[in-house]
Amino acid sequence: MSLRAPGFPRAGLGILLAVALAYGLVIGVRALYGWDPVLDGDAVLQVALIAAPFGFFIGFGLFDYWFRWASGAPTVPEEHSSHGARSWKDYFRVNTDHKVIGIQYVVTSFFFLLVGGMFAMLVRAELAQPGMQFVNPNAYNGLFSVHASILIFLFIIPVFAGFANYVLPLMIGAPDMAFPRLNALSYWMLPVAGIMMLASFLAPGGSFSTGWTAYAPLSTEAPIGQVFFTIGVQFAGASSIATALNFLVTIITMRAPGMSFFRMPLLVWANFSTSLLVVIATPFIAASQFFVLLERALGFNFFEVTRGGDVLMYQHVFWFYSHPAVYIMMLPGFGIISEILAVKSRKPIFGYRMMAFSLLAIVVLGFTVWAHHMFVSGMQEWIRVPMMITTAVIAVPTGIKIFSWLATLWKGVLHLDTPMLFALGFVTMFTLGGISGVMLAMIPFTIHVSDTYFIVAHIHYVLFGGSLFTIFAGAYYWFPKMTGRMYDERLGKLHFWTTFVGFNLTFAPMHLIGIEGMPRRVADYAQEFAGWNLFISIASFVVGLSTLVFVYNMVVSWRAGIRAPANPWKALTLEWQVSSPPPIFNFDTIPTVVGGPYEYGVPGAVHGVFKGAEVKTTATPAGAAPVGD
Amino acid sequence: MEAGALTLPHGGGHDEHHGPPPANRSSRVDAPTLGMLLFIISEIMVFGAFFTAYFFIRVVQGAEWPAEGTHLPQAIAGVNTAILLSSSLTMHWTVMAAKADNRAGMRAGIFTTALLGFTFLFIQINEYVHIGFSPSDSAQGSIFYGLTGLHGAHVFIGLMLLCFVAIRVFRGHFSSAHHRGLEIPGIYWHFVDIMWVVVFTTVYIL
Repeated sequence: MSLRAPGFPRAGLGILLAVALAYGLVIGVRALYGWDPVLDGDAVLQVALIAAPFGFFIGFGLFDYWFRWASGAPTVPEEHSSHGARSWKDYFRVNTDHKVIGIQYVVTSFFFLLVGGMFAMLVRAELAQPGMQFVNPNAYNGLFSVHASILIFLFIIPVFAGFANYVLPLMIGAPDMAFPRLNALSYWMLPVAGIMMLASFLAPGGSFSTGWTAYAPLSTEAPIGQVFFTIGVQFAGASSIATALNFLVTIITMRAPGMSFFRMPLLVWANFSTSLLVVIATPFIAASQFFVLLERALGFNFFEVTRGGDVLMYQHVFWFYSHPAVYIMMLPGFGIISEILAVKSRKPIFGYRMMAFSLLAIVVLGFTVWAHHMFVSGMQEWIRVPMMITTAVIAVPTGIKIFSWLATLWKGVLHLDTPMLFALGFVTMFTLGGISGVMLAMIPFTIHVSDTYFIVAHIHYVLFGGSLFTIFAGAYYWFPKMTGRMYDERLGKLHFWTTFVGFNLTFAPMHLIGIEGMPRRVADYAQEFAGWNLFISIASFVVGLSTLVFVYNMVVSWRAGIRAPANPWKALTLEWQVSSPPPIFNFDTIPTVVGGPYEYGVPGAVHGVFKGAEVKTTATPAGAAPVGD
Repeated sequence: MEAGALTLPHGGGHDEHHGPPPANRSSRVDAPTLGMLLFIISEIMVFGAFFTAYFFIRVVQGAEWPAEGTHLPQAIAGVNTAILLSSSLTMHWTVMAAKADNRAGMRAGIFTTALLGFTFLFIQINEYVHIGFSPSDSAQGSIFYGLTGLHGAHVFIGLMLLCFVAIRVFRGHFSSAHHRGLEIPGIYWHFVDIMWVVVFTTVYIL
């Protein structure tokens, strides 16, 4: 145990010093202004929540290299900057290897999936019968708020960043990300944000209970548990922005020779588009939470109508991030599905260029639809119809993707293994979620079902049936590459069918009770909904149990699965052309890309070649993906 | 978000290369410069959100500007604008000096730039002390402190970067061959200055 070397002991010391600093700062400032009492617990907590993570980062060694650089000292290769992980302990150190960081991301995110899923189980247990069973209404509000926040900010968004971290540099033929140290910092902000949100349960007054949307003035007047969300989101957001910036720079500057933009796998395209969204939109949620924090901590009046503030402003700023955020939570999944469908149906992706352009179209249109979340908020009426139109229009690029996937499957040789099952499950479920989305774009309908279970059904069809299915598909698809082991196919299929059936039994009835008027976010409900709710709760426990099958499969296969070959799926993209798991700097020689990534079924098709190997090119490239440019 | 500023350390002349082998350069754009530009885009969006708040308070709610009984010191802020803008010129001069291997010029340039930046911040804080209203008085006061304070925080970050750069300038780390570690904080500093012009115009002039 050394307090001088970077690591957990020094990180603990850093946190202690930061808390001490928070006390000192608050007492000092309050004494200076002559406020009484000098010690204010809430103020200390808020300062400490900001300072303690930095104490942790500095103590943990994330800034060591930069401090040396900033002070003009010669930089040294730290012990932890070496690539690769030799034992499990290396995953608990600062590591700049994108493959290690990718696994750190994915495992951390899945941990938070289990935590967030557990909250969902508690919510469903409470809702199994009308009346109050296990928790009081305030605790119930806390449960669904933390459930949503954890699964959005600590699972869906970062798990995609984790997969991309692992496979994206491999796919474009790069040895690592553009900024490996920033990448490490991005990862370590995540557990900090997650622990902060969970720690809100310890706060006096309970956890934050304002939903993941944290609307003002509810959030500005909520008990102190709210600031755990307000500040936790800042770290999750900063992590997201830093990773997105890293992806963009990596994709633009580090592609292998011959890897033109239109030879990039669609996963790379998807992450390029997502990263654009993150860099442009995420600052808005940071700002919205700054407003809340300033209002709570320093008595600002952004939302205080009696002093000239505007209460709807919060919702505009929040949704200007959070609508693009639903695409941040979906586009990388589109990329995963495009990879899997092409490989597993042994056909070139249909309409490759349209797939790429539709991603960019979603990026642009994603910024024009935010107020459709506010149809009943009392905003200016003239905004409604334009937002209805843009919302309907954004279904077009998504439709292009759905039809392209169907055309890819058309007359393909389908390999119905676990990744493919999840991919097909995604296409069907996401289409249903998309259709209820178009329904919700229609103002008269949305006024009828606002704040009912119809909304809950819609969001879960797109985030569970959509995003989570793509995540499972991706987890199975790249499991051999990331761990060097094969997963158990039988358990994988069992996982799929239990999840798929349980998911539909859980969320499909919610459409019905929603239209009948059962309000969301309420711990109790009318007697007439009792039957369906009991049914939904039982079905949701099936989903919960099916996740245990997944966890068991992953853990056991990682420890004792059969060794994976380099390319078990016979895929063309570059990550499958190296060993499983890949060598320490990915490639011994940088590959040269000579063709499109999805030329399946084309005789002699090659995507990338390594120096020394004979270059074979196809006579005519297949599909709509012309070579070159 | 401050993390983005930390991409800088990859620049600079005298660092050893620690890390993965070099990748193929698929773009003429320099990676750290591109990283800084993307970071600036996301910074602009943070300001954009604060301007949205300004828009809602001043235009949508139609609040009186500045709030009744308050006065914004346009003249002092104008002088401060001139100070900050001239620091952009001296920053540019510093980079030019580095490109010409003019060590004395580099030192004078970075010193003047940082000094002007600190002066700006000092005057801004002084203005807060004497302005006579607080953020809790009114929404107009909140957004005044919100926008100028957000910008002040960026000046502070920029000044920290300039201090790091100054240390390296005085240690002679930059030359005509290696000046990326000087140029990239410079880009950030120019961004802070341009942003001030927008903040100054909307808050004090309009």
